[in-house]
Amino acid sequence: MSDLLTSLNSAARSLDAQRFGMDVTGQNIANVNTPGYSRRTLDLVWIAPYDKTSAGGGVEVIGVRALRDRLLDRRLQQELPAERREAAIAEALRTVEAAIGRPGESLDVKLNAFFDAFAKLADNPTSSVARQEVLLQGGTLATSFQDMAARLRSAQADSDQQIRAVVDQVNTLTSRISALNATASHAAATGALPALQDEQLYLARQLSELVDVSVIDHGNGVVDITLGNGKPLVVAEHQYDLGTSSTAPLGYASITAGGVDVTSQITGGRLGGLLQVRDVNVPAYLDQLDTLAYNVAAQVNTLHTAGYDQTGTAGVAFFTFSPSIVGSAGAAEALIVNPVVAADARKIAAASITDVGDNQTARGIAALRDARVLNSGTATFTDAWGQMVYAVGRDSKDAADDQATREEIVRQVDQLRDQISGVSLDEEAANLLKFQRAYEANARFFKACEDTIDSLLRNLS
Amino acid sequence: MGLRVTFNGQFRDATTNVERASERLLQFQRQVSSGRRLDRVSDDPSGASSALGERTKIAQVDQFTRSTDSAYSRLTVIDTVLSDIVTKLTAAQVAATSALGTTPTTAQRTAAAEQLDGLKAALLDDFNTSLQGNYLFAGTKSTSKPYVTGSGGTVAAYAGSSTEIQVDIEEDRAVTVSFDGGAITKGSDSTDVFAIMDSLIAAVNAADSTAINSGIASLQNVFGRVTAAQSRVGASMQTLDAEKLRLSATKLASSERLSKLEDANMAEAITGMQQADTAYKAALGAAATAAKVSLMDYL
Repeated sequence: MSDLLTSLNSAARSLDAQRFGMDVTGQNIANVNTPGYSRRTLDLVWIAPYDKTSAGGGVEVIGVRALRDRLLDRRLQQELPAERREAAIAEALRTVEAAIGRPGESLDVKLNAFFDAFAKLADNPTSSVARQEVLLQGGTLATSFQDMAARLRSAQADSDQQIRAVVDQVNTLTSRISALNATASHAAATGALPALQDEQLYLARQLSELVDVSVIDHGNGVVDITLGNGKPLVVAEHQYDLGTSSTAPLGYASITAGGVDVTSQITGGRLGGLLQVRDVNVPAYLDQLDTLAYNVAAQVNTLHTAGYDQTGTAGVAFFTFSPSIVGSAGAAEALIVNPVVAADARKIAAASITDVGDNQTARGIAALRDARVLNSGTATFTDAWGQMVYAVGRDSKDAADDQATREEIVRQVDQLRDQISGVSLDEEAANLLKFQRAYEANARFFKACEDTIDSLLRNLS
Repeated sequence: MGLRVTFNGQFRDATTNVERASERLLQFQRQVSSGRRLDRVSDDPSGASSALGERTKIAQVDQFTRSTDSAYSRLTVIDTVLSDIVTKLTAAQVAATSALGTTPTTAQRTAAAEQLDGLKAALLDDFNTSLQGNYLFAGTKSTSKPYVTGSGGTVAAYAGSSTEIQVDIEEDRAVTVSFDGGAITKGSDSTDVFAIMDSLIAAVNAADSTAINSGIASLQNVFGRVTAAQSRVGASMQTLDAEKLRLSATKLASSERLSKLEDANMAEAITGMQQADTAYKAALGAAATAAKVSLMDYL
């Protein structure tokens, strides 16, 4: 049979338990805005009676539990890399879009102006003004190609800079995770495990935004992290850095893990998106631009060298490349008006015969504007430029649309996760009230026991 | 158990909705203020690519219009010159005819011969007409005079080119703007108009009616070739007139298509902006209301 002192003891324990409940509520409210915090709940259990005359030993605190859903956390780790990848692509391509300019304000205008100049020359092949105009527009066109290529190159270089920065961030995050792994057993002993796991999950989430990783949670406060392809980044307390090495010819960073080049295997996260832009998107645009520049030069030169200039001499190449190129690679960056022609407008070949009044060559070059000379005779120069503009716009729009869809998924998963792990202030207020009232009631019980003992003692005296 | 409404979830929802509404509002605002539907290529990639095509078409039409105008003014000059040549040739025939037979006195013959000499000089000027430094009857050798007077007043043979200069007024369509003078003055005959005039003057002075008659007949051949050239010019000018109309219609059509592709539909954009504005304010209001009350207030 329980005695009064036992009751007093159990009341004191109850008071402790309710106060602890208020503490937990306070902790939840305090961390309502802390990223990665999972709401805590107090696990209480009643103490069973010792015998049939005992009412029970009151309440006991089992512990504090962090409320999480591993499936949702894993889902986030899967969705985030894809979402961040598209976001990085969309962001980088926005710069590329700005670089290529709006229709009617870009290379298409320069192309038209160039062919206009030749058409004017055809109208008046002996006019020195018309010849100067051809030189001017030819020069402007070449400069536009150079500038466009330079802007694409700089977008590529920007992505490379960011890639190096992201690799540093990845290493910082993995080193923090491995440091937390090292303290796991100590945290388990001191009850700090939920806090440690919250932080680990939060870091893993940040890591998922940067690169696609697999997170293996051992459940005891130790998580292992591997790259999507299985290369380890964190194994218990050991961390393996991602490295960068500048690779010829452009000096862009290759990404290495354990000395092995893993660049091509990284597809997700911000890193994957930046690599896609740097290694796939921009090179494709540059290639299209180079092909266009190369063909403009080749087609104009073919006609120009077959013609005769104002002195009745056979024409020289109108466009050349400086530095010289092999194939069409680098054509846009190197395109210039042949210095020989640039120095003397009379060197422009307008005639197809030695008569200076003839305009056949100028007419032929002006007619190139509409000639289907590209993509095996299916596209004009403007078509080819239009295709490039379309490709950039399409890629940018696709990335932005895809990102919007995935962002919504992430948001939904975040909402679901919040339903379990998030702090609801109303709920905490109710909990606060609950524990407060329980504390007050227990205090009354305590007082009643004390009063009973007191009156018993008074009777004895 | 119902849905747990968490503080962060509420906040995330509210901010997402406000962000979306404000982004939408911004899109419409940009359309209304810029008047453009396409601000970036990614707004409508295929539209942007079509717009490029239309712009090129317009640029080309503009160029053809310029060429048409320039060709038209040259042809107008050529037409005037050819009309003048017709007048001169007729006058020469009249003057030569007046010296026929035995009636005219020597003085009258001399006068007729002098008149013919003057007409020859005028014809020479006509065939050497230049516009902006280009000789109109010299073919592709347009920078030098097609006919030069040598010693003794004899006009040298045609120095121009038999290749004519053409300019494009449309794809695969060109008009001649510099004629082969030799084909007009001489054609397939053995002598050109200047030699005919020379022999005619000699015949008038010599009162050789047979030679005068054959000279007049030769002038008639020249006359035929000049009027043939004139009808070619006339036909070209008619083509150019039709071409100008066609070009302006093409340009209008292209501009309309371009406008549909690039310009914002103002009525739609403004209505959209108003709707977006209302939605934005509603989202702001909802966000503010949601965060306002809490059980905490009642404790």
